[in-house]
Amino acid sequence: MDNFVQVKRKTPMGIWALRGVTVAIALVVLLVIGSVVYSAYEDYTAVKAELAGGSQQAVGAAVLRGSTETVSINITVPNRGLYPLNVTLACDYPTTNVVCQRTSVNVAPGAEGVLRFRMTVFDLSQFENSGDNVINGTVAISMTPFVGLTVGTDFGGFVKTGGG
Amino acid sequence: MYGKVVTTRKRITSAIWALVVNTIFWIVIPYYVGVFLTGRVPESALTVPTFVYEFGILFIILEVGAAFFQGKAVAVPMISAVALLTVVYIWYATNGGVLGVETSGITLALDFRLMLYVLVLPSIWAAIRAPLSYMVWRRAMKAGVSTAPAASPVPQSDGSLPGQK
Repeated sequence: MDNFVQVKRKTPMGIWALRGVTVAIALVVLLVIGSVVYSAYEDYTAVKAELAGGSQQAVGAAVLRGSTETVSINITVPNRGLYPLNVTLACDYPTTNVVCQRTSVNVAPGAEGVLRFRMTVFDLSQFENSGDNVINGTVAISMTPFVGLTVGTDFGGFVKTGGG
Repeated sequence: MYGKVVTTRKRITSAIWALVVNTIFWIVIPYYVGVFLTGRVPESALTVPTFVYEFGILFIILEVGAAFFQGKAVAVPMISAVALLTVVYIWYATNGGVLGVETSGITLALDFRLMLYVLVLPSIWAAIRAPLSYMVWRRAMKAGVSTAPAASPVPQSDGSLPGQK
């Protein structure tokens, strides 16, 4: 040990550069994940508050004229997040008895958009009495460009509630 | 990491440590999560997929190898393999960024492909970084003085520096 000379090596510049890239990538990943989670939370709470709030009468309305029922859904979509929000409503109708428009709204961050969806059932009694009165609908919500959520559900509930 | 002298004792300790930690993380925790899920929701099909254990065994082998051969060239492909295996695992576990669930008439589909690319970016970089790091260290050690290996003499038992007597 007496004559041992310990050699300390300086970390080469290349290693510092590699570490720099690692830190930069980690920051980008954290920033992206953090902003997406934050935006999703903000958008969710804002839309939830909007649906539970005072504009409930504007959400859905069903008008029955003769045997034809028209269901109108107007939803205000606020975007409190950091990414553009796209909301799309669409449905597949198994028979010509039901017609619905595919509607979509793009909402910029900090803005509000109104989604107007209209669905028409031409023969309500036939629709209600038939065994197959399911209208497969989809609600697609996407935080462009990172995350998209598609919910497939039965839109027939809107008709029964409104007409019945 | 390549500039340091690693003793055999430290290699064995690191390898044992890697074995214990990775076994807990990849085998023990998934097993008990499976037991918990089966106990809580017995009628559901919620179980830990077999691929978790398969990947876990591969992770354990590579991590133990990388820990044992730390500082040596043979550890480099192991470190890169662990990183690449992590990418494959994340990709496999998330079904390529498109997850779907169907329950009581409602289908949910989550598409986060771009997010997944961002998530696997650190692992891809880790796979690239390992050989680059090794090459940089190796070049620095070969170059010797030119990369400034500052020699710091260790004081001897009487406090004097070597060569001062």
